Amino acid sequence: MSPAADPPGAQGGGPARHAGLLGALERAMAAINRLVVFAGMLALLVASLVLTYSVFSRYLFKAATDWQDEIAVFCIVGAVFLAGAWVQAQRGHVGIEALSSVLSPGINRIRSVVVDVLTLAFCAFFAWKSWTLFHEAWVDKMTTSSTFAPPLTIPYGLMALGMTLLVVQIALQIAYYFARRDTRASG
Amino acid sequence: MSMLALGLLFGGVTLLVMATGMPIAFSLGFVAIVFMALFMPAASLDTVTQNVYEEMASITLLSIPLFILKGAAIGRSDAGRDLYLAMHAWMQRIPGGLGIANVFTCALFAAMAGSSPATCSAIGSAGIPEMRRRGYSPGFAAGIIAAGGTLGILLPPSITMILYAVAAEVSLGRLFLAGIGPGLLLVALFSLYAAYRFAKEFRTAHAAFEREGTHSAYLEQKTYSLHEKIEMLPRVLPFVILLIGVMFALYGGYATPSETAGLGAVLALVLIAVVYHVWRPVQLGPILGATLKESTMLMFIIGMSLLFSYVMSYLHISQSAAQAIVAMHLSKWMLLAAILFLVIVLGFFLPPVSIILMTAPIILPPLRAAGFDLIWFGVLMTIVMEMGLIHPPVGLNIFVIKNIAPDIPLADVIWGVLPFVGLMFVAIFLICFFPGIATGIPDAVMGPPVVR
Repeated sequence: MSPAADPPGAQGGGPARHAGLLGALERAMAAINRLVVFAGMLALLVASLVLTYSVFSRYLFKAATDWQDEIAVFCIVGAVFLAGAWVQAQRGHVGIEALSSVLSPGINRIRSVVVDVLTLAFCAFFAWKSWTLFHEAWVDKMTTSSTFAPPLTIPYGLMALGMTLLVVQIALQIAYYFARRDTRASG
Repeated sequence: MSMLALGLLFGGVTLLVMATGMPIAFSLGFVAIVFMALFMPAASLDTVTQNVYEEMASITLLSIPLFILKGAAIGRSDAGRDLYLAMHAWMQRIPGGLGIANVFTCALFAAMAGSSPATCSAIGSAGIPEMRRRGYSPGFAAGIIAAGGTLGILLPPSITMILYAVAAEVSLGRLFLAGIGPGLLLVALFSLYAAYRFAKEFRTAHAAFEREGTHSAYLEQKTYSLHEKIEMLPRVLPFVILLIGVMFALYGGYATPSETAGLGAVLALVLIAVVYHVWRPVQLGPILGATLKESTMLMFIIGMSLLFSYVMSYLHISQSAAQAIVAMHLSKWMLLAAILFLVIVLGFFLPPVSIILMTAPIILPPLRAAGFDLIWFGVLMTIVMEMGLIHPPVGLNIFVIKNIAPDIPLADVIWGVLPFVGLMFVAIFLICFFPGIATGIPDAVMGPPVVR
């Protein structure tokens, strides 16, 4: 429950801090994140509007509301997973910082890169299993169990895509660490 | 491996991984997957993502981002400041009225925004300077705001309560209603304390004036004319109506809790467009961006906590721990005290969302076996976790206050907050002795609970 204080888009949109290939990748990722965040914002709005519509349609037209909840679920799941990389770019996934405040800066840098590598391993595994899930849903034409029955490839695909972006983002952050270390070593 | 050893290993590894500073969401997922790989059939690893998706794809859980959106819309407009000014103008005749106005504004705003830190920053940035200008001691002013902000997770709609309702499988509507009584009790206790503390500081200032002629802002009375008071209403009333309207839609049976979230978000956006002319994409961007950021962070933690609990339950760790607690044959109230203590300790490290989802499978069965009403306990647990927001070492609200008023020393803020922590303990005792404070309103509105 972080205080939502800092302006969004502050990170990820700024000028690239690295030269060469890494800088190009950084800019590309920032552009993707901007796009994805825009889509995520729209998805949140759509979800709110759909649920609002659901209240009124039930009340005014006595219409059954079967598809609204699922559309809202898909929108929000999609928004959340796709924005995962953008939040990671701002280091917005909260952790317990007690240890980092007592360690020396040098050890802390090593700690943070080890943490990133572990996070990368977890996210890569999760992304891989999301794609296999997506593939399964695609081959078996899986749908949700409601009468509306939208294909499950939609949320699974969004989850897989989001986790993949997250993997790329963390990999880039690890690459920054080594790039900085090289600069320090040579300079 | 024995159950105890497995449980200790699981708990130990989790603490260790979290202590490295790995984001909470990824720590939980990481530990879950490692234990799946080591102790569960290989096939379980193949379904891990499906598992997370199915647990998360509940519209009740996914209404959380929409509640956050509603809060962000209101929190980032000037509604907080206006609400505060109006409250202040209307309550100025009561002794200590300014402090009480702050408590009331925090409560109202928190109920609309549903977020403690957002309440602290919105009301605090107007309230703290004003209280200090009027001579309130900095610690007292900071304490009122930090404590007032916590009311957000008790008054509906509260994110913490949504998660509890999901984890404990209790009625969310009933739980929301059960929070109202204790919420009002806390408002009353905080207000009484504010009045008492005001009287005390006023006497000190008055005595100093009599003795040495030291002038204090305390001794000045600022008055508003009726005209001024009425002028302030049009900007505030829409938000109060929004608050009441959304509750009405929920309890009148017009909307499900998740639809209430969507409706609330849309209405809040419409209101800030009409009242504060916030409607351009460039103005809405920060609101939606902040919502997306906080929601993503939170939903990742929730999704991974659910996976973590799933592994814990598959390996029978939660069940064994629950049985072990039952087998200790603690007296009813000892059990409650021990569990609340556990929640307080966890609150030192973890945000409320993870505490609920990780501990629910362990602590709820013994409580149910001991005959406690889980709705009632949900309210108690929420208050205990609220306290975690204002006591060190995490005390998120304290740091929000530190941000708004950087010149107040941290020690002053903490000393200012402590009496309110005490008052929360008083509230907990009162709710234990008079459970009707929590269960009375839901019983009256929705009928007595169905006995399971």
